[in-house]
Amino acid sequence: MKTLSFRMLLRRSGTAESILAIALTVAILASITSVVNHVNSQAQTMGKLLNVGETFLILSRSSTSITDSKVDTELARLIRNITNTKYVLTQKVFTASLTTTSNQSTVVVRGVDTQAFLEARNAQINGVSANDTQANVGEILARLASINKGDEISIAVDNKTVTVEVAGIVQTFTQSDTELIVPMSIANLLTEDNDKVSFIEFAIKDGEQAEIDNLSEHLPANVKILKTQQTQAFIQEVNNQTVSFLSLWSIAVYAIVTAASYVVASRLTIESSYEVTMLKALGAKPTIPFKLILSFTLVIASLGCVLGLAIGLSGAQIISTATRWMWKNIQITPTLEIQQTTQIILFTLASSILGSIYPALKATRKTYAELPL
Amino acid sequence: MTLISFKYLQKQRLLILTVVLMLASVLFSITAFGFFGFYKTFNAYLGESDDIIVIYQTGSTTPFTGFIPLQLTSRIENITGVLASSPEVTAPTLVKRKSVFFRGVIPEEFSKLNPLTILNGKTLQLKDTDSAIVGKRLADTLNLAVGNKILVLGALAERYLELEIKGIYESNSAFDDEAIVPLYVGQWLRGTNYETVTLIRVKIDRGKLTPTLLYEAIAKEAKAPQPDGKTKPTPIEEIIPISNTAINPENLGVQETQKFMKTYLEKYGMTQETLLILSITVFVFASATIFGASHILIQQHEHETAVLRSLGTSTKTLRQDLIIKVLPWSLAASLIGVIGAMVILQVMKNSGLQALSHTILFKPDLPLIILNVLLVSAIVVLSVTYATKKLNPK
Repeated sequence: MKTLSFRMLLRRSGTAESILAIALTVAILASITSVVNHVNSQAQTMGKLLNVGETFLILSRSSTSITDSKVDTELARLIRNITNTKYVLTQKVFTASLTTTSNQSTVVVRGVDTQAFLEARNAQINGVSANDTQANVGEILARLASINKGDEISIAVDNKTVTVEVAGIVQTFTQSDTELIVPMSIANLLTEDNDKVSFIEFAIKDGEQAEIDNLSEHLPANVKILKTQQTQAFIQEVNNQTVSFLSLWSIAVYAIVTAASYVVASRLTIESSYEVTMLKALGAKPTIPFKLILSFTLVIASLGCVLGLAIGLSGAQIISTATRWMWKNIQITPTLEIQQTTQIILFTLASSILGSIYPALKATRKTYAELPL
Repeated sequence: MTLISFKYLQKQRLLILTVVLMLASVLFSITAFGFFGFYKTFNAYLGESDDIIVIYQTGSTTPFTGFIPLQLTSRIENITGVLASSPEVTAPTLVKRKSVFFRGVIPEEFSKLNPLTILNGKTLQLKDTDSAIVGKRLADTLNLAVGNKILVLGALAERYLELEIKGIYESNSAFDDEAIVPLYVGQWLRGTNYETVTLIRVKIDRGKLTPTLLYEAIAKEAKAPQPDGKTKPTPIEEIIPISNTAINPENLGVQETQKFMKTYLEKYGMTQETLLILSITVFVFASATIFGASHILIQQHEHETAVLRSLGTSTKTLRQDLIIKVLPWSLAASLIGVIGAMVILQVMKNSGLQALSHTILFKPDLPLIILNVLLVSAIVVLSVTYATKKLNPK
């Protein structure tokens, strides 16, 4: 009897309109999501086309910046052993007081293997890289502090002072242009804890993620690896912002689906009130009308979903083709991922159930005697 | 027969139609205000004033990625009508796992175009080699305070650097979502040399100079012999080495800031017209539900309308009366929908909703509100007309 009643409900004249109402709402969601997917995938593709670097940093896990990080110097050996590296640079970064013949200022000092560091930076040097009694000065710092090649400068940290000769002025187009670059031996003289450095910078030859994953497994828990160029993460973050807006916007669409389902279920209870009350009069359990109306709305919502997804996707495709004719530089390929399709179907069905519960409950309460003559 | 005083429509049933209309209005408003908010925020990104124009690289695909010679700044400063010029480098970066735009500027020149109110800390100086000032919204998003040190990782270049927050500013513009650093720091993060910048914003005297005239002046300057270098160096030239670079006017564009941004948005098909069509399409697609709801309302009152019809009321009179009775509700529904949408968008904005790492500034737009009311009313009239046609003629 249930099947027969259900078929009777489905054959009503308003069924097609009800499916269309839900389908059009789902189509809005499907088309916008598919276009956003295209925009996001384009951004990610562009990110992949960029020449993303292969340089990584090892910092202490709790650190939020370079100067508050401390890692074991021995880790550099581990990196060399495990990975196929271009270079590994241990670096000690700290602030110091700089005294020149003409002024005194506070500067950032970077203790490194100067030659390897300047080679890694492709630095232009007016002079040579510093040896154990010398320092290199960044171009901008040299200009600001009036330092020239061959000058003698004093570097002081607390009560420890070192006087060194400026071996060369360097230009790296990085932060080092404002720093004093000194050999690690000088950095160790000025600071304590010689077994520790601020961080380790290394570059791998082929940029394979497997190398980094392997290294991560061997590193102690108190350190972290960071890639210096974060193109993918940046694009992902920007894409997430679009997706967040879309998610919140889709709530309004699902609200419309709920309303549409309410309307569909209400219309059904009005138009089929005779049939429903007759069923009850013939001895059907009170839950039967409830189940029937809920099932009807779910079937309508499911069909609406499928149709809506098709309309949305094909509509977006047609519009993108038309756009391509009008503006040749705009190439949109709308796509919908499987999990998004599933999500749209599930949320539509859930919204549909939500919208049809009240009319369905109302229908169970209606008796034959309440019907207008 | 006039039916105005005869209240045969039940309020509870009317309320259901109102809720449906309100939801459709919310959807339209969120879509329209959201898209137009994005459009207007980015149009005003570099300034809304007519007297600020921008010199940029014509071939660049985004407003953040062009390269033009920095030397242009000193070459244009003596042109009649140029009041101030601010060379700027935009660098997309990652800070605390969040995407952040850094803007390398000459602070003194930048402030002539965009005065910043320092809320906390100090203002930025060109010689602040390892400092940054951050916009209020960015500081709130990343939980930054003056004195904090941040690790900045480049997105377009293999660069990392540590900066100390020197101040927090407010500009009541898109810059509140960015961090400002000295020009050369921006150049490091963008991965360029000291000779190039992303764009130059110029404040002009509109009575003496137009973008076209400025372009012509630049073209003339490009042909003129290079300065011999004996002139007094500018503050930026004292800090970074800037060599003479050939200027190719063919690669340069000069436009008002809003037109400049509009050009880029249009490149991706984002015009006011397309956004409006998109918003209306969303509403039209949702209007099937309104049709259904109106139909239900008429069906629910079938008994009452049948009585009226049997008393001699014509379908036309009944239709007119129904429209008159439903329209005030639809008006209320659309306005409540607009208010609801504004509240939702405000909540979205406060919860950190951004596009391209900039907060979208949603503002109620009167033409859009009127359009919303008109669309809802039109759909109601159409659907009531359609539903009354199906009324039993008896």
